[in-house]
Amino acid sequence: MHQLARNLHLQQDGPALYELRDLSYTYPNGQTALERIDLDIASGDRIAIIGQNGAGKSTLLKHLNGLLSVQQGSLAYKGQALLEEHLRRARLEIGLLFQDPDDQLFCNTLQEDVLFGPLNQGLDITAATAATNTALAAVGLAGAARRAPHKLSYGQRKRAGLAGLLAMSPDVLLLDEPTANLDPHQEEVLLQLLKDFTGTLICITHNLLFAYEICERAVVLDRGHIHHDYTFKELVSHKASLREHGLDFTFRFAESPMPEDLHADDQTQSPVRETHTDGHLAPENSPLIQLQDYGFTYPDGTEALIGLDLDISRGETLAIVGENGAGKTTLVSCLMGLRCGSGEYRLDGKQVTDTNRRDNCQQIGMVFQDSSDQLFCPSCYEEVAFGPRQLGLPNETIKKRVAEALGQTGLSGFDERVPLHLSGGERKRLALAAVLAMQPQILILDEPTAGLDPAGEELLLDILKGLDVTLILISHDLFFVRRLTHRTLVLHEGHPVQNYSTKDFFTDTNLTSLNQLDFTYRNRCGLEIMRLQHEHEHSHQHHHSHEHPHRHGDLVHNHLHEHEHEHAHTFSHTHRTEPDKPSQLPANSAQEPTHGHLPRADQPHDHEHPNHEEEPHKHEH
Amino acid sequence: MTEQQTIHLAAYWLPLLGCGVILCSWLAMRALRRMITTRQETPNEQIPTIDAEASGRSLIHSWDPRFKIIALLGFAFCAVSLQSPITILIALLLTIITLAIARIPWHRPLRRLLAMNGFLVMFLVVMPLTVPTHSGDTLVVFGNWQMLTCNLRGLELALIIIGKAWCVALLMEPLLATAPLGATLEGLTRLGLPGKISEMLLIAHRYLFVFLGEVQRMRSGMEARAFRPGRRWDTLRDLGNFVGMLLVRSFERTHRVYAAMQARGYTGTLPHHHQFRGAMSDWLQTTIWLGLGLGLVLVDRLGVGGF
Amino acid sequence: MHISDGVLPTSIALGAGAASLVLATWSARRSPAEDLPKVAVVSAAFFVASLVHIPLGPTSIHLLLPGVVGALLGPAAFLAILLGLVLQSLLFQFGGLTALGGNALMMGLPALACGLLFQTLRGQSRKRQAIVGALCGGLGVLGSALIMAVLLALSGEDFLGIAKLALLAHLPVVVIEAIVAGFIVSFLARVKPELLEAPFTLRKTPPVLDTERKR
Repeated sequence: MHQLARNLHLQQDGPALYELRDLSYTYPNGQTALERIDLDIASGDRIAIIGQNGAGKSTLLKHLNGLLSVQQGSLAYKGQALLEEHLRRARLEIGLLFQDPDDQLFCNTLQEDVLFGPLNQGLDITAATAATNTALAAVGLAGAARRAPHKLSYGQRKRAGLAGLLAMSPDVLLLDEPTANLDPHQEEVLLQLLKDFTGTLICITHNLLFAYEICERAVVLDRGHIHHDYTFKELVSHKASLREHGLDFTFRFAESPMPEDLHADDQTQSPVRETHTDGHLAPENSPLIQLQDYGFTYPDGTEALIGLDLDISRGETLAIVGENGAGKTTLVSCLMGLRCGSGEYRLDGKQVTDTNRRDNCQQIGMVFQDSSDQLFCPSCYEEVAFGPRQLGLPNETIKKRVAEALGQTGLSGFDERVPLHLSGGERKRLALAAVLAMQPQILILDEPTAGLDPAGEELLLDILKGLDVTLILISHDLFFVRRLTHRTLVLHEGHPVQNYSTKDFFTDTNLTSLNQLDFTYRNRCGLEIMRLQHEHEHSHQHHHSHEHPHRHGDLVHNHLHEHEHEHAHTFSHTHRTEPDKPSQLPANSAQEPTHGHLPRADQPHDHEHPNHEEEPHKHEH
Repeated sequence: MTEQQTIHLAAYWLPLLGCGVILCSWLAMRALRRMITTRQETPNEQIPTIDAEASGRSLIHSWDPRFKIIALLGFAFCAVSLQSPITILIALLLTIITLAIARIPWHRPLRRLLAMNGFLVMFLVVMPLTVPTHSGDTLVVFGNWQMLTCNLRGLELALIIIGKAWCVALLMEPLLATAPLGATLEGLTRLGLPGKISEMLLIAHRYLFVFLGEVQRMRSGMEARAFRPGRRWDTLRDLGNFVGMLLVRSFERTHRVYAAMQARGYTGTLPHHHQFRGAMSDWLQTTIWLGLGLGLVLVDRLGVGGF
Repeated sequence: MHISDGVLPTSIALGAGAASLVLATWSARRSPAEDLPKVAVVSAAFFVASLVHIPLGPTSIHLLLPGVVGALLGPAAFLAILLGLVLQSLLFQFGGLTALGGNALMMGLPALACGLLFQTLRGQSRKRQAIVGALCGGLGVLGSALIMAVLLALSGEDFLGIAKLALLAHLPVVVIEAIVAGFIVSFLARVKPELLEAPFTLRKTPPVLDTERKR
């Protein structure tokens, strides 16, 4: 391997780091992923690639480091096409963080894995080791260098993957859904690491808040085309177009935890799931699930759950919240009967023991975080029929149940389709259908929104609202928690920390100080974005006349003319209620309390055209 | 030529001995298994870590992997060539001493022995009954059951096989557990194993754990839907689907892994990063081991000396 | 079932080892170099699959799947099986390093043969593929049993009894493996037929990555 001195990066030929012209790509199965993409990426750009699932984002990303060769059109990195020698050298400066860290960590210890990149770059073993140690220290995994990847948690593996890239001192970082499956604290850690990165950053994400913090530019893809390409601030201001792309995030942080907000909310928007008798919980003498001093310890001594007392009544909806590793999944596994803990556990009055716990699944159903782990049949019908079949039901009943379950989840007619060929959202719903077919009394959802785009999430929410079961929800997604649950149980390192109503959870300011349950940065972002959106609501189109050189065909001339255009400017105004407090923001337009404002006489609006006010024009506010 | 000797035992000895053996071995296995599971490294561990003891310090740990491999493998082949019970016992003893020197926790080699049990017990039971009788054999006949004549030579043969198998099994621990897997495999590569194969071994080893995790989760998913492995046609179909799904996921993953390798500059070979330096002590240790091995073989072939 | 150390005489063990090495080299040469890491990942999957318990009467058995390995991997199957055996040997000591050659021949040769058989008889319809798959699965195990018996028999007349027993013990396994292999192939034919169309390493166009499928 010839020496490639580290500081001899490829020289940039031309203004843009990446130049994509007319790039198109069609997969061998006929699926067109990209159509005529024109894109310029400058060095130092921080771009978020956004779009619905299936819009072509991954395909685009894979072109940027040559994993997919250009089929049609052209792509130039630093002035040259990504071929042969140039490609080989380019790959050593471009880092791609895969969505699944297990794809990226392919060596037997972290040390070996992070060494892989620098050694390929031609460094000698000493320099490579130094780079490795620095990178591992930067991501906080210095002590885990000799450990095998499968012994680390998901969040640690994600960081390890990033370390592997940082050790190569890349010029460009490509990130494919970096925050998938991370809890808020882990997200913040990742955020910090990426903020410290000084090169070009291109990130595919659905997580608007995360992207807002690290990206300045947004490229929106829609069915293979570039739909928009503008600054991030502009993107978030356009509430309407976000909705168009199925990427409306406003409903998510519209209900950010703010006291005034919540009180108003409770009257108009309490969790919609109906309980049986006029709003009160159906009277039950004993709770459906009862845990007393429940605990679970792994064979190697790790205590996953300690001293848990929990009562869940029929028809209740409970959210279980906590950092990754807090014991949430362990708890629901125990409830399901997949594991056996210590202490008392009563299901519907009956004591659950090691011998009869396997029957729990007849009353409790669970949808796993990764739906691929639950689907293994060659057709949707068989998949949904699996549960009833195991229960020994007659064929006719099975057919009915399957039809019902598929109908409930919006998958009617999918009987003969192959589960693996469905989209992510459809697979999640199929897993739900498979569980519903067993008609459980209790439904457990483990991170149901993982991997879904916002459109998928809304659909899932609608389905869940219509179900008549006792619901236990594990989620980092506060919006879901808020909309679906009455009560919240907070776990931290196996201990139950709080067990109160969801409303109290949202108003609990103590929680945010619990380091691992850090939702603060989201609140901060959420507020900023809402402010931007509010400002935008006051932007408008107008006609005005002005004079500037412009072109008509081949003729360039200069005269007074009128255009209509939309200006990115805001109409300066203040709110009548609180003259000077920008933080006092109203909620989302859906429940926007009416507010009025008067134009400020001193400066009607900010505008990039000088002396704009003097020109005759008219517009509406 | 010595005559065949026949020992007649009353008929009731057979079931008595049989039950006795079965009971003892069952109890022993249970006890051992219990002792082993309490020391499992991770929950639900089905695959032990090869190099779990790699961070220890001992003569064996500091042995250069290349020399270690030659010495211990050589010794293993010598051990397998032995034919007399006494020499095999000596070999076993030497192996146990090595384990002690390397300070390997005893549950690890025991685990290996347990894994081989089924196959070896078969030998123990079948050999005495099916070995053709030679002159000089001692036969044990129970009552009038001529069919169930136990040939003690067969028993001896079976015990020899078990001894040899155990010996090599026990040798695996000092061989593999005392250095990181990567180092051991790189040592093998330096000795002539094609680089591609050791690379593939490293990768395969890594993904074992990934797929194991997937299998465990998928199995949980099935159990969560009331799956019970029964003896019905359906179970086989479900298992077929299960394995099929595992395979499909693995094929999809393998493309992604390869893409990840390419993305970080992989051009055909994994980079090497272990440096080996042969010291005097390495040569010495290797010579001692090979000497012992060959010596044993010699002693064995020369009719066990004066024993 | 695998042969443990100490059973085969050293001469046979070494001979089998040499033969395996030759076959392994051939297997590696027949596959494009860049496919070898991919074969490694898939071998890990087969290994894990073989850990699956199948209840059989009072006990349970493990799947061997030589037929399926052969059908899916083609010439690289021998390498995959060798890898699996080495790993097993390293991890569980079930088979032994000295007996590696013998075991590799025992499992690898039927895999290669069945792979070829599958590709020849495959046909287009799913049903036919499943039946051929079952056939290959059963024959694969039968082949393994036969080779094992032969190896044992070659070790001396003392081992004839064991050889016969081993053969008999494999018969129910043959039946079960055939059935399961049939189901596996049937699943693959519905879900990812391109895996069956040509052995992995001889395929020209890469299959669609799942990340590119419409999410």
